[in-house]
Amino acid sequence: MKHDSVAITVTSGKGGVGKSTTVASVGLALAKLGRKVCVMDTDIGLRKLDLMLGLENRIVYDLVDVVEGTSKLRQSLVRHKEFEHLALLPAAQTRYKEEITPEQVKQIVDELRHEFEFILIDSPAGIEGGFRNAIAPADRAVLVVNPEIPSVRDSDRVIGLLESANLDKIDLVVNRVQPGMVRDGDMLSVERVQNHLAINLLGIVPEDRRIVRSSNTGEPVVLDDKSMAGCAFNNIARRLNGERVPFLELEEPSLIHRIKRIFHIA
Amino acid sequence: MAFLNMFNKEKERPTAATADDRLSLVLSYQRSDIDERKLKKFQSRLVELCDEFGYDVVGQVEIRPQSRDWDNMTVLNASIPVRLRGK
Repeated sequence: MKHDSVAITVTSGKGGVGKSTTVASVGLALAKLGRKVCVMDTDIGLRKLDLMLGLENRIVYDLVDVVEGTSKLRQSLVRHKEFEHLALLPAAQTRYKEEITPEQVKQIVDELRHEFEFILIDSPAGIEGGFRNAIAPADRAVLVVNPEIPSVRDSDRVIGLLESANLDKIDLVVNRVQPGMVRDGDMLSVERVQNHLAINLLGIVPEDRRIVRSSNTGEPVVLDDKSMAGCAFNNIARRLNGERVPFLELEEPSLIHRIKRIFHIA
Repeated sequence: MAFLNMFNKEKERPTAATADDRLSLVLSYQRSDIDERKLKKFQSRLVELCDEFGYDVVGQVEIRPQSRDWDNMTVLNASIPVRLRGK
């Protein structure tokens, strides 16, 4: 079946909330589902996606090279060896965000649309030039938020900026949720975050120590069957792929429930 | 003495009791785009007004803008602890 191409910008405003982790994980998960995916790093000067996907040693050309005409687009794409449907367009590491314009990024994405069904754009933190480059070609946006006030406030501001750029289709991913802290009242609940931001909830990703390991090894958590975060990212990919997938039950079972389970009575 | 002062120190009052209330407040400020200086001026005018009407302001005056989702309106909630003069 032929699908239209869609460009999705993953953004947040605040740094360190898990944008690159989301792009790498969801990109790989979509490729596992058989979709043709290009993950594009627009964080010029501070690239990360190459490390997240374990492709850092295979970069020859980058996004700025394509813009400047030093390389062709297909020469700059780094194809994943294991997942052939996945390609990375890396950002330059020793250049500056101001060296490219939103119009140039748009042209590159338009070219990518000929080959790829999903183009996931990793936006840099902040709301300056790099952010404008990342949202210019987008058909829709995914906002990654941590359940904490600074992150939600920045996201609220970003929603306003996306809407003023005529990007109305905005989905929410609440990342690094800790059910125990929510239960104790020390963390905002997903429901409250969603109520405040009033956008569609696409995914809930629990805090997971395996994420740290995955970014160090270059193997996204979606390849780890034991990772709850990996499972959540796989679900997000399935939802983007048009499936109806229920949200993960994150609440840890109580001690009594765990004992009952041991004796097979729960 | 420094040790005793440690217990005597006035703590900064939180703007809201719960994280959720604080978030509502923070977002309301951001969405209403209200100028802080204007708000301070408004606060002192309210104190003057209370004085004019025979009330003594006996505590911290608080003005909290809140955004009302259903009609996209900003509501200013003022809390003014007062006592009737002479009572």
